[in-house]
Amino acid sequence: MTPVPLLAGRNLRKHYPMGAEPVQALRGVDIDVFPGDLLALRGPSGSGKTTLINLLGLLDRPDSGTLLLDGQDTQALSEDARADTRRDRFGFIFQTFNLIPVLTAAENVGYPMLLKPQPRHSWRAALSSIPSAKPQPPAHMQVRARELLAAVGLTGKEDTRPDLLSGGQRQRVAIARALANHPAVIFADEPTANLDSHTADAILDLLQRLNREQQVAIVVSTHDPRVVERCTRVLTLHDGAILRDAA
Amino acid sequence: MNRLTIAWRNVTRHRRRSLITGGLVAFGFVSFALAGGFMAQSFDGLRHNAIRSGLGHIQFADPRAFEKSEEKTLGFGIHNAGAAIRTIRANGAVEAVMPRLEFYGLVSAGGTSIPFAGVGVDPEAEQRGSDIPATIKKGVWIRPDARTVVIGHHLARLLNAKVGDNLTLLATTPDGTLNAIDVSVGGIAEIFIKELSERYLALPLPLAQELLTAPDTVSRISVLLKEPANEAETAASLDASLHTLGLGLGHRLWSELALFYQQVRVLYIGIFGFMGTVLVVIVFLSTINTTLMSVTERTREIGTLRALGARSGRIASGFVLEGALLGTASAIGGVVLSLVITLMLNLSELRLPPPPGMAKGIVIHVQVIPSVYLAATLTMIVTLAIASYFPARRAARAPIVESLAHV
Repeated sequence: MTPVPLLAGRNLRKHYPMGAEPVQALRGVDIDVFPGDLLALRGPSGSGKTTLINLLGLLDRPDSGTLLLDGQDTQALSEDARADTRRDRFGFIFQTFNLIPVLTAAENVGYPMLLKPQPRHSWRAALSSIPSAKPQPPAHMQVRARELLAAVGLTGKEDTRPDLLSGGQRQRVAIARALANHPAVIFADEPTANLDSHTADAILDLLQRLNREQQVAIVVSTHDPRVVERCTRVLTLHDGAILRDAA
Repeated sequence: MNRLTIAWRNVTRHRRRSLITGGLVAFGFVSFALAGGFMAQSFDGLRHNAIRSGLGHIQFADPRAFEKSEEKTLGFGIHNAGAAIRTIRANGAVEAVMPRLEFYGLVSAGGTSIPFAGVGVDPEAEQRGSDIPATIKKGVWIRPDARTVVIGHHLARLLNAKVGDNLTLLATTPDGTLNAIDVSVGGIAEIFIKELSERYLALPLPLAQELLTAPDTVSRISVLLKEPANEAETAASLDASLHTLGLGLGHRLWSELALFYQQVRVLYIGIFGFMGTVLVVIVFLSTINTTLMSVTERTREIGTLRALGARSGRIASGFVLEGALLGTASAIGGVVLSLVITLMLNLSELRLPPPPGMAKGIVIHVQVIPSVYLAATLTMIVTLAIASYFPARRAARAPIVESLAHV
């Protein structure tokens, strides 16, 4: 039986205005992302990798074409519905980590959980936490955030602010954050670009393990051959079009 | 971790910037609180002066006296005044009854004659219900049984008169004839309004009635109450009692008669309202610059939060919360600062220059008005929240990919 794709993009086109001539970032791309995929988007700079990740992750809208999530068209979704979908179904890992500097590692991981609708707290309860030096998130969020940090090897760093963590540790926090709401797909845009080779290998080990153990689909944009080697599928892009889709 | 905690951490993220913004807001708060406190003190002072200048809380007179000036002496006078005074005095809410006989005349000393505005009063009642007896700087206040008068110190200077000197008072009686009496200067009052001081002459009511040949007649009856809050209620009760005498008297409350008080009040409210508006605009423009800087610096962070699933409304409201928190913290600082400055000002007894028409400056005294503090707090919180909202709303609605690519 043919597996049903989580994400199915058809004839995706996107251009960006740049001076007098618009730049064609994607020229009618067809793509399927299946559950459990470890998919690499490979290609030189300007080939459209990041644009494709942005479209698949509902961070941007295509000029034309369709994108189905679980068989449903995403074009009709409002901005709020797209935000809710990103929160509930996707995780993101950025090249520059993009952690929130005022939050500790555990709080960064817990933040996506905080975005989910919570039982209403009274103002008194909310205000009572202001003077507290160590705010107390709801217990289940705190427990899960610590479990995720332990899973990425950051036990003991829960209460550390991002500026006191190394690049590798920050990216591990970002991975733990991406897993917070049990996503179906994690999008990673050049996740090892800012890391040394040793740390990059460790991060790739971690992503591979998460993909294998938790069956999370991972879509990685990269031009790093070491990343490509670890992936089970490789899409090669060039000038906004897919040259090759290889398993 | 909750939204308030995150907002507070973002406020304290750039301490120096937040301190400068907070300082500006606290300065705005202090300006509001001090201006409001000074204004309230001024209103209280004006009210007190108006009531204690002989106006009383309620004034009874011929209704025509409230509408127009008399064309002849005592044209609107109250006859059978003794009965009216006794009726009013019998009311338990009344502190003092001050009958007043007002007229104009000429006062002569040696070869100098000066027009004066005379007022015949009950000396004892005036001592309870008016501040004028306390302004005597030379001599004593008039006594009921003495043929003495009290004059303003500017009038004394014009007449070159001193305590004990003899004066001749000349006035027109109600039937149009001239009458004169001899009196002596019993006291000289220090009256700060120069124009009034140049014309003021007070004498015992029986002496004034003798000069005008108008026994048992007064122009008005001022009433001072024990509880000023019950003005309207007591006035209605007294009206009912006086009605039985058939004198046809009407009444006015002090606030209806104190035109100077009303005019100054409107002027003050206008001036301070304008200054307050300017202040709010300055605070708004200054803080919007800061919040714009803060939002711009956090553009990539905003893109990240939106990528993680935060709705744009949540992000904008987060910035509003930060503005409101900074406004609250600044207002708390403003409260402390205002109380300290108020205390210092009140202890220092600084004196303002004399206002127009006044001979003596006013000591600055600032009241602490809780409603002004509350209004200033709300104004500052709302101003900062609004100043945060517009830049945050724009940033939160920007395309996510552009925000993420922001350098």
